[in-house]
Amino acid sequence: MENKDLQVQLSTKQGFPEELPSLLKCITSQTIAGFDSVECGGMNYQTQLVTIPNPQEDATAGKGLEAAELHGQVNVIFGPPPSSPVEATDCHEPHAISVSMPASPSGLHIVQAKKVLFIDKAGPTAIDGQPNQPSDSDSINSRQPQQGKFHSQPISAGNSCGKPTEGKVSDPFESQLRIPRNDSQRDKRFDPFKTWSGKLERQLSNLRGKPQEPDLEAANDCHSAENETVPAVDRYFDALEGPELDTLRATEVSVLPEDKKWPFLLRFPISSFGMCLGVSSQAILWKTLAISPSMSFLHVSLTVNLVLWCISLALMATIFLIYFLKIIFFFEAVRREYHHPIRVNFFFAPWIACLFLVLGLPPSVTVNVHAAIWYVLMAPIFCLELKIYGQWMSGGQRRLSKVANPSNHLSIVGNFVGALLGASMGLKEGPIFFFAVGLAHYTVLFVTLYQRLPTNATLPKELHPVFFLFVAAPSVACMAWAKIHGDFDYGSRIAYFIAMFLYASLAVRINFFRGFRFSLAWWAYTFPMTGAAVATIKYSMEVTNVLTQSLSVGLSAISTFTVTALLVSTIIHAFILHDLFPNDISIAITQKRPKFSKKLAHLRSASSDMKDIEASLPKNNPELEL
Amino acid sequence: MEEREQQLPITTNSSTPRQTPTTGLNIVATSKVLAWLSNLTRFHAGYFRISLSLCGQALLWKTLSEPTTDAHALRPVIHTLPSAAFFFLWSLALFSLVALCLLYAVRCLFRFESIKAELSHHVGMNYLFAPWISWLLLLESTPFLHPKTASYLVLWWVFSVPIFVLDVKIYGQWFTKGRKLLSMAANPTSQISVIGNLVGARAAARMGWRESALCMFSLGMAHYLVLFVTLYQRFVGSNSLPAMLRPVFFLFFAAPGMASLAWDSISGTFDNASKMLFFLSLFLFASLVSRPALFRRSMRRFNVAWWAYSFPLTVLALAATEYAQEVKGFISDALMLVLSVLSALVTLALLVFTFLKTRDLLPHDDPFAPSSSMSTAFVMPTLQT
Repeated sequence: MENKDLQVQLSTKQGFPEELPSLLKCITSQTIAGFDSVECGGMNYQTQLVTIPNPQEDATAGKGLEAAELHGQVNVIFGPPPSSPVEATDCHEPHAISVSMPASPSGLHIVQAKKVLFIDKAGPTAIDGQPNQPSDSDSINSRQPQQGKFHSQPISAGNSCGKPTEGKVSDPFESQLRIPRNDSQRDKRFDPFKTWSGKLERQLSNLRGKPQEPDLEAANDCHSAENETVPAVDRYFDALEGPELDTLRATEVSVLPEDKKWPFLLRFPISSFGMCLGVSSQAILWKTLAISPSMSFLHVSLTVNLVLWCISLALMATIFLIYFLKIIFFFEAVRREYHHPIRVNFFFAPWIACLFLVLGLPPSVTVNVHAAIWYVLMAPIFCLELKIYGQWMSGGQRRLSKVANPSNHLSIVGNFVGALLGASMGLKEGPIFFFAVGLAHYTVLFVTLYQRLPTNATLPKELHPVFFLFVAAPSVACMAWAKIHGDFDYGSRIAYFIAMFLYASLAVRINFFRGFRFSLAWWAYTFPMTGAAVATIKYSMEVTNVLTQSLSVGLSAISTFTVTALLVSTIIHAFILHDLFPNDISIAITQKRPKFSKKLAHLRSASSDMKDIEASLPKNNPELEL
Repeated sequence: MEEREQQLPITTNSSTPRQTPTTGLNIVATSKVLAWLSNLTRFHAGYFRISLSLCGQALLWKTLSEPTTDAHALRPVIHTLPSAAFFFLWSLALFSLVALCLLYAVRCLFRFESIKAELSHHVGMNYLFAPWISWLLLLESTPFLHPKTASYLVLWWVFSVPIFVLDVKIYGQWFTKGRKLLSMAANPTSQISVIGNLVGARAAARMGWRESALCMFSLGMAHYLVLFVTLYQRFVGSNSLPAMLRPVFFLFFAAPGMASLAWDSISGTFDNASKMLFFLSLFLFASLVSRPALFRRSMRRFNVAWWAYSFPLTVLALAATEYAQEVKGFISDALMLVLSVLSALVTLALLVFTFLKTRDLLPHDDPFAPSSSMSTAFVMPTLQT
């Protein structure tokens, strides 16, 4: 028996060792030499179920080598009193505990067992899309290939509160061991990511009059208390890869089930605000096209601006609302996003989008905006900046030489946009303040990114749309300086030409921008193009000739075309492919590197045919480390 | 920042002389004098922080009491202060500076090896600018010397030439010398060299020597640009600062503040460039002040590094004063008031601490003393640098 995974089910409700629930009996009868994916009653893992003390157990224990080893240990399992449940799910479900038993009788006491390993030795058995469906062993086939799972769980019922588990986030796996339960039951796997680990949700369901779930869920909270720390920045670099650090490396596992579609709120990343950025910057572009004297030959009407502005306002409100709900219900997930080295920059995006909305305000709506709005919008940007730039200067591991990446431009551009808006509104000192701060830090970032330091872990190796963010800062800075100074003088022109150079330098490499998976964050990369177009229009107002005007038209056309293309892609992904919001793996990394990461990588690359693996299983030496 | 404090082997009395074959009393007396002298020469350049702070304060008070300062808010406060108080402060600053210079001169005579070690240390070498900066600040705040007089000019030259010399040495090292890479040696105290140039520029501009002022200003700013980027990048493996030296982080906002003052003197008005530098300085100040955890470890015991808090605050207050003059408004006046009061309080507190805990302040050992077992390049100063 190579499969060392054991699953111990303690039936607490039904008492122990009385009559076993039918599930257990079912399981027992299926555990013949081996692992099996115990599909009975929704157990999808090929884990060997050992049902404790009951006469049938001897039968199972007698099978296979490890059974003998287990036998001795099996008794240990029963240490904890049956009445101490680990996680309660439903009133009528037995409480499940998973323990991992070492292959060698090295004495794993249940109270010390910290991890349960459910690796698909066979590679893939098991994880089905809906673990709560009762299914039989045939459903083994339905799982996804090459999905190894490492689950760590706190063990013992009632004792787990005191025991820090190594792998943290232990809870989610509880539910996977579940026996048949109704779909209406709450999926507890996502609890650690919820606000106060699901307590809020329970409160709300109480308020709504739903049946109260047993109090044993209090144990849940204890486990969740262990999840308070967020992974260190190094973990993000180790576990994730890709230009947006959103792909899990082969050697890593996610703490949430990768096969199942997570709750929508959990899948809603902060980079969705990029859509607001893209659309609201378009509104600004069309407004500028309509009111610029040098562009009057186009005869663009202000209606376009009005329509776009209304759309972007609605979009902004929607996304704000959804993300606000996410903050309320999944605060842990938001925290993890905040600590992600790339996503943290997107926390500036809502405020920049708001600034864009005010900048693109159609003249028919209002002309004069009160200065207080500017202060209100800049306050969050200021606080975020203090934190982020302070971290660059002195914040431990988040040193700029390590975390610098093109998305950092989002944290810089906010300064320039604020300066532009403030100067447009007639303020004097505030815009200069933000311009100065933005300029100083932009210099640092610019140099660092150009250096592409070897210690930099986040720079994409290949060209990626994120590089367009390079164009954002100088183009907005040029406009801001022009507004502050009153006219488009040398400083603005220098910034403008730098922006144009960077744009050209990226545009000629357009061939390299291929082969990337579409993500919502791409919307954020369109606003630099729009910004460059607006800057060109402003420049053409200063220097009016055919060249500048045609350049304005050209750049505006490119930007509008890009936004339209993105819109079409978004619609396709949303309604046809249904993968606009994939599971947000980047927030679900483990605190520590899984121990058998190499084996995991190996497993994942193993043959996906379950049967082959099943056939080969007996030959494998169980090397699971527990 | 990683904090690593290494204790150096204490070299006590490394300069014990040979015993003279005279009477016992003579021996004892001589050895006592020599021991005392040896203690005296342990004052390394870091102690110039004290004179730097006091001279800065003197300059601040002088600026505040100038009739051109349209300090509505402060006018009642300033006028209640007798000018004698300012004179007392100025004399205290002068006295401290002279005393420290003498001590350092004695150290040069007796412990030349230490001086050489200090010059090659990545933190110590920057504090060699400190005496000259202090002299220049004192010169600017002199109550009885007008900037247009000849003696002012002569003194300016006397104090700026060493700054030039040190510039050439240290900046040249940055981009030519093999082992002393800037990426490895850069640390917040390197900004003192920049500040030196800027102070010289300001003093020159007040004299009316615009070209020299512009020259020093551009020198300072060019190197400041490089340094700012390097410090922000915080290369992995760069020589990190010991936790005790965290107060020197305040130099981050001293440099742009001084630059703002210098540009203000050069261009005549507090224009956009000065404002931008002042705002940058203000932002960095806010950024540091909102991270008190950074300074927690260094605040456990009183040591001379605490004096590093005062000078940057004074510079910021000075810049705020100039800003308030230009932008006459309630907020700018309030800012000036708050910052001036803060810097005065901090300096006062440090003075009180110094008088109460003089023992803690005195050097217990010479961190730059070359020991037989360690090479000088490896010496890392401990608490008292």
